[in-house]
Amino acid sequence: MSALALYQMVAFGLLAVGLFGLFSRASLVGMLISVELMLNGAGLAVVAAGQLTPMPGELSQATALFIMGLAAAESTLVLAIVYVVRKRFGSASSVTPSELKG
Amino acid sequence: MKELVVQASFALYAVITLGGAVWAVTAKSLVRALLGLTISLMGVAALYVLIAAPFVALMQILIYVGAVVVLIFFAIMLTRAQSEDEEAGPRDIRKLMWSGATGLGTAGLLAAACLRHGPAISETAGEISPAELGQVFLGPYVLGFEVISVVLFAAMAGAVLLAFERRKER
Repeated sequence: MSALALYQMVAFGLLAVGLFGLFSRASLVGMLISVELMLNGAGLAVVAAGQLTPMPGELSQATALFIMGLAAAESTLVLAIVYVVRKRFGSASSVTPSELKG
Repeated sequence: MKELVVQASFALYAVITLGGAVWAVTAKSLVRALLGLTISLMGVAALYVLIAAPFVALMQILIYVGAVVVLIFFAIMLTRAQSEDEEAGPRDIRKLMWSGATGLGTAGLLAAACLRHGPAISETAGEISPAELGQVFLGPYVLGFEVISVVLFAAMAGAVLLAFERRKER
């Protein structure tokens, strides 16, 4: 297997574990952790693709930095949302807010 | 000899990354899950160093471990009271199986596609200096650079607004 394929296998491993966590976790913070794992897999795949193929490497590294900035923004917002959900529903579980009241 | 060292360190870092990730999604306590996430992020940073991207590795530690993990820790602390009980309940085996099948299926499909139609690769990874990266950010992609700062600002202002308004009503 080539080096690129090995790196992509690690990235896909992170994707698989993150998806598993996203669907199996009951708490919102646990789901956020899983999303961060998947974003990391994406960054790893992009940087590996840029460094090991003839494409310009600085482009892939800039993309990875964009992904990190978006992850930071996303976790800030999710923190606020989890906080609000906790205040309003009394728990940070993903099940509680889905009970609609007409 | 050098080849062997590189292969051995790749294997070690891959095991650290994936092991930390598995711990992060299986640990019952959220604080332990966060520790698993940190280990996984460190493993990814080490993989970046191995692929001749030290600047991205530094940023990985600075942004993820320094900012995102601390933020998630704050989220755990602010919602502490019941976050332990939710994960401590009996696990639904069918849900776990479906989750595992979804993750493995999606990743396996992509992995098969990548192995089958992989691009031509150049085995040596050239190192990019931060100066060149800066030229990319301030040259052709300056719009994206500005937009990411606006997105960060909007997210933080929105977060403050969300949390503040709720507190005022009480």
